[in-house]
Parts: sequence; structure tokens; C-alpha cells
Amino acid sequence: MTGRFRVFALLLTAATLQATLFDELRIDGVAVEYLLLVAVLAGHHGGPERGAVVAFLAGLLHDSVGVSPLGLHALAFAPVAAAVGHLSARLAAGARGLAALGLLAAVASGVGVAAAIGNLFGLHPVDATTLFGTAVLAAVMTGTVAVPTSRIVQWAVTGGLPVDVNVDRNPGAGSLRAPTGRIGRR
Amino acid sequence: MAAPGGGRSRPTLLILVAAALTLLTMQYRGVEPLAAFQRGVRDVVEPLRSATDRISAPFRSAWNGLLDYDELVAENERLADELARQRGRRLTAEADAELLDRLLGEVGIDVAGGRSVVVRILGTPPGNFATHTIEVDKGSDDGLAEGMPVVTAAGLVGRLETVDRSRSTVRLATHPEFRVGVRLVGSQDEGLARGGGQTGFLVVDAGIGLDAKVEAGEVVVTSGGRSLFPADVPVGRVLDPDEDADYERTVVVEPIASLENLSFLNVLLIVDEPTSADPSGLRGG
Repeated sequence: MTGRFRVFALLLTAATLQATLFDELRIDGVAVEYLLLVAVLAGHHGGPERGAVVAFLAGLLHDSVGVSPLGLHALAFAPVAAAVGHLSARLAAGARGLAALGLLAAVASGVGVAAAIGNLFGLHPVDATTLFGTAVLAAVMTGTVAVPTSRIVQWAVTGGLPVDVNVDRNPGAGSLRAPTGRIGRR
Repeated sequence: MAAPGGGRSRPTLLILVAAALTLLTMQYRGVEPLAAFQRGVRDVVEPLRSATDRISAPFRSAWNGLLDYDELVAENERLADELARQRGRRLTAEADAELLDRLLGEVGIDVAGGRSVVVRILGTPPGNFATHTIEVDKGSDDGLAEGMPVVTAAGLVGRLETVDRSRSTVRLATHPEFRVGVRLVGSQDEGLARGGGQTGFLVVDAGIGLDAKVEAGEVVVTSGGRSLFPADVPVGRVLDPDEDADYERTVVVEPIASLENLSFLNVLLIVDEPTSADPSGLRGG
């Protein structure tokens, strides 16, 4: 199975779940932001570039299954995923508590950014208090399905392999490094 | 976890942001293939959504019962009190109804007279910010089209915002971007009303002069004319005539049609002749 097909299958499944199962289970009118979760995790596992592309597609699907203008969520998700990709690479790896908090913050930020962009385009008229409450609740609810989703997203965007492999071509150095310094698995 | 770097990520991100902005711009300019693409995706997902609706109905009821048990108990008590009060108010209500009928009759209002389609409310559309918008169970296969007025027997509810093959979304009259031309039945003044958002009211903040005689309780109907809506559909009653306004008058109208706890609605099969594409639905009524 190629990487692109895995991502395609992941996004279609996520969009279907977003529009069906997760749309049914609401708390105080707030639903799980599953496609945003996939976007954030794609940034975490796939790095900023690949995460941004996956997030862009996830945003387009979000707009398609919902009623927002096409491109609105794509505009919000891609920068969030890219930011998550950059931050994941720079923050301490393996700190699960920090990662969980980061995930919640990223999802809440994504919800806020999408609402802010929607507000700019005359949609989603929400006041700050409602927005904050909705973002926090959506982040917490989304966090409950993050662990299994994380594994699936990791499988889809990396195929279980590291995103970047540094290869030093000097055998004497004991490792290989490519002239560009990066070989990304596609 | 991702490796550091991402030197190529900035150009990629810029391209993606530009692409998203282009799509948004195209959509607001009314490029039909984009709207058709969205309708197509929703139509593909719709059978799955319907199946999920049916399968999850018992679980959803249990879920809502679990989460909203206290609210249900409180609502039950409130309804019992309300029933007792209503029994005592019956005569007053009948008098009010007669008054309303007389007022509406004076202007020849016949909301239910036109062709209409009864639709059932499914809930809110997917997403966390589809406020003042509801989803109904019929679409273009049943003759519905975007912009059609949505009413109940009591009066105006909103209008169709998006129409797929078997589902549609309704923008409620309380949506802040909702616009409708209105006429005050008593004074015959006309103005433009907009949704009041979370207040649950409509606000007439254009067209009503400072010297106009507006009374609390006055019936407000649609004005028709170039509006998307037919004339004389009941909208509400004046709640606050804003008689003390010094500079700009803002008349608050309480909707006649209860927008809470709705189950079925009527869509009036009135086809609007579009003068300009507006997929965002921002055009005033």
C-alpha cells in the first residue's frame, strides 16, 4: 500500500467518522473535531511539510461534509499542523504529559483559528466566551480518541518509518549523510 | 515524532494558504463547480449519515438521557407548571389568537395557501460553529432550492441555505447574517430586520424613522417587493419600539414562530430568481 493511498484512506475514513459517529455524540452541542485531530497528528508524526499537506486536505474534507465555504478549514488546519510539526521537533520527545497538553492546545487553537477565520468571512458568529468554552470542550472530547488515532495517523503518514533519514556518505564516519541532509519517505 | 527542519515547509505552507484563499474567493464569487463538489461529497456521505442516524438513535437517546438527565427533570417540572398556567390563560390566549387573526386578516395574510413541502428537522449540521442553522430531511429531489422561505403555521422561521439531494440546511431568522424586509402592520412602516444572534430576537435597525409611531406588541410581517420572501408572512411582534432613540432607531422584534423545540417545518416552493451568485448566503432578504 503506497503512502498516498494510506493518507487518502485515512482522510476518507476520518471524514466519514466526523460526519456520522462523532457528529451524533455531542456534549452541550459540541462534537469531536476528528479531522482537526488527524491534521494535528499528521503534523506531529509527519513533520511540518507533510503535516500541512495532510491538514489542508483534511480541511477541504471538513468543508465538504459540513456547510462552511470550501477552503475555510483548509486555511485554518494547514498552519496549525505546520506549527505542530515544528514544535514537535523542538520540544522534548517522550514527555507524554507535555505531548497530551500540546495536543489539547493544538486542537483548541485549531478550533479557535477556524472560528476566527469564519468570523472574518461572516460565518460562525460566536462571542469570545462561547468560543473559549467550545474550543476547550472540543479539545478535551477530541483528546479522548487521540491515542488510537495517533497510531493510525503515524502508520498512514510515515508507514512506521522515520520521516527524515540523515545519511552520511563518508563510510569512515560510521554513518551516511546525503548531500541534502534529508531523505523524506514519500 | 517528526524530525526537525522543514526548510521546505514554509513555501509549501504558503502555497497551501494561497490555495485555500483562492478557493474561498472562488466560492464567494459563486464558482458553481465548487458548490457542486461540496454537494457531491455530502450526497456520497448522506447514506452513511442516514444509516448512522438510524443505528445510533437508541444510543443517542441514552447518551442524551445520561448527559441531560437533570435538564430533562427540570424541563418536565417546567412543562407541568406551564401546563397548569396555560389552563388558566386559555381565555387570554384565545383572545390573543383572535386579535392576531384579525390583524393578519386585514392584510390578507395566507401563509399556508401556497405550495409547500413539509420537512423534518434532523438537528444541527456537522461542525461546532453552525449556530442558528438546522438540518432538514429533504432536498433537491423533493423540489427544494436554495433561498426558499421556511415557515411554520405561526410564521417565518428562516430560509434554505444549502440544498443537497436529500438534505438541506436552514438559516434561522435569528442568525446574525439573516436579513428580511419587514412591515409593521399597525403603522405600515417598512424596514430591514436582521437576526439578533444569541438574543433570539430580530432587530429592525434600518428604515424605521425616529418619528414613526411603533407600539409594543405590534405585528410585524414580511414586506415582499424585491425581497426573497413573499409579502405578509408573519415575522413577530414588536418587543421594544425604542421610542427614546435619539439618533438611530432599533426596534426589537420577538419571533412569532418558536425557534426552539421545532420538529417539522414548511418550505414554501417559491423559486427566487437570483440576481447575483452568493453561495455564502449573505444576501439580504
